[in-house]
Amino acid sequence: MFTALVLFHGLVSVALLGALTHQALAVVARRAEARSPSFIARFRRTDPAAYSTAIVVLFAVVVLTGAVLYPSYRLVVRPTLQTLDLRAANGVFEIKEHLSAMGLVLLPAYWASWRQPLVAEYSAVRVGLTWILASMVWWNFIVGQLLVSIKGPV
Amino acid sequence: MKTHGRLMIFSLVACVAYTLAYYFEWSLFQYYFAQNSIGGFWEEGGASGPPILWYGWLATAVLAGAAAAGAIPQRWVARLLPDLLWLVPIVLIFAALMYERRWFM
Repeated sequence: MFTALVLFHGLVSVALLGALTHQALAVVARRAEARSPSFIARFRRTDPAAYSTAIVVLFAVVVLTGAVLYPSYRLVVRPTLQTLDLRAANGVFEIKEHLSAMGLVLLPAYWASWRQPLVAEYSAVRVGLTWILASMVWWNFIVGQLLVSIKGPV
Repeated sequence: MKTHGRLMIFSLVACVAYTLAYYFEWSLFQYYFAQNSIGGFWEEGGASGPPILWYGWLATAVLAGAAAAGAIPQRWVARLLPDLLWLVPIVLIFAALMYERRWFM
């Protein structure tokens, strides 16, 4: 059950990472670049507003599954880190914990800023919150993979 | 638009409240994972083993955000500077990094 949930958490994280990265790049894409036929331009040409609800759902699911897995982390992974005296690994997880919580409570503002019709007054909020959430998800994903690598198969 | 403003107040206040909650350890409840039991914020731990405070910090933040979103008058909500919604989280993320640098010394 634990392994299945870790796998599910990881897979949903990948989907979230992809969606947020697409949106973060699309929201800052300049129109001239967006007309180019290159791969990067096509990647950035997506409609950023189309991702917002999916991102809210994926983010909530990732944090929820992470919250369910958290006691196992405290019972299994954290003691290993302490035994190996890997303080920095513990520290990066503590940061992941804070970013997950802050990201979760920022979702209502993020969702409101992306509601149709888009309000011009919120354009900086859209860019800012999208990049903040994308940075959080990248950090959390890398830290998660790092800790799994340190602990190895459970 | 009224709902949007209140959602934004929720996020802003909850984000600040979460930061205060972990800094001052204002956990609405504690989860003792070794015992699989929950204790209120008024209860002393110790015998039940180490607690997880994160759930309680998050609950504190959600409660504070919901209270603010419901209680703040609409005219104040309308005056909210939109840029605070991304500037404040950046400051709070920086604060979290500063707080956790103890692990890297």
